[in-house]
Amino acid sequence: MKAATDTIELTFERTIPASPTQVFEGWLSPKVSGTPWNIAEKLSLDPKIDGFFYLHVKGISHYGRFTEVESPSRIRHTWVSPNTLGLESIVTLTFKKQGADTIMTLAHSGLPDTPEGRKHEQGWNYFLNTFPEQFGKASREEK
Amino acid sequence: MDRLSDVLTAISHPARRAIIGQLATGPARFLDIADRHDTALNAVTKHLKMLERAGLIEREKRGREVIISFRGEPLREVAGWVHDYERFWIERLDQFEQHFRDKKKEKKK
Repeated sequence: MKAATDTIELTFERTIPASPTQVFEGWLSPKVSGTPWNIAEKLSLDPKIDGFFYLHVKGISHYGRFTEVESPSRIRHTWVSPNTLGLESIVTLTFKKQGADTIMTLAHSGLPDTPEGRKHEQGWNYFLNTFPEQFGKASREEK
Repeated sequence: MDRLSDVLTAISHPARRAIIGQLATGPARFLDIADRHDTALNAVTKHLKMLERAGLIEREKRGREVIISFRGEPLREVAGWVHDYERFWIERLDQFEQHFRDKKKEKKK
């Protein structure tokens, strides 16, 4: 019997200079830059419990179902795409007040840990684009 | 956390990437780093600790001063392990944060 695919969880944290309500509402607005919905070529979004989304970006379709929508503190929804091998991964967002700011966390769990998910060449391009100077420097030092 | 997780966590924050970008041009003292970034000193200390734990910086005592330098090797080690969604969410969240920072700046004007 073939072993089940291992999964990984990615977590991120940001300090956003706005109230939890503004950040919560911003994240659910397709008009706000940086939300996944903002880059959609086609979008259907119904952010309520058991509401669905359909997101078409760069030729790839993503689907999901909202399972928790607790304004202004928490959002959870499933996320299905070719990269999840058709499995339901889970995206969980939390928004916590810290003074005048909001600590926002995003966790994406249940992602299949496959070579397709971590493409070596693209990984390199990401680093080269993000840190061009030090990669150039590190490469020279190695020689 | 393992080394891979430490490095990915370290580079997931724009402030820490900015510090790496600064140190890539050459070693610096703590206050040189703090001066360049619009954040509290204790936040800079926290960011440096995370970068140090990931092996991305090293400290060297020279007389009374501590010089902080960038080390690129850990980035090279993890380059092949970056998940598609790692890039996707980092780009999304960077833009989302910037959206609110821009709005705040506009309000101040």
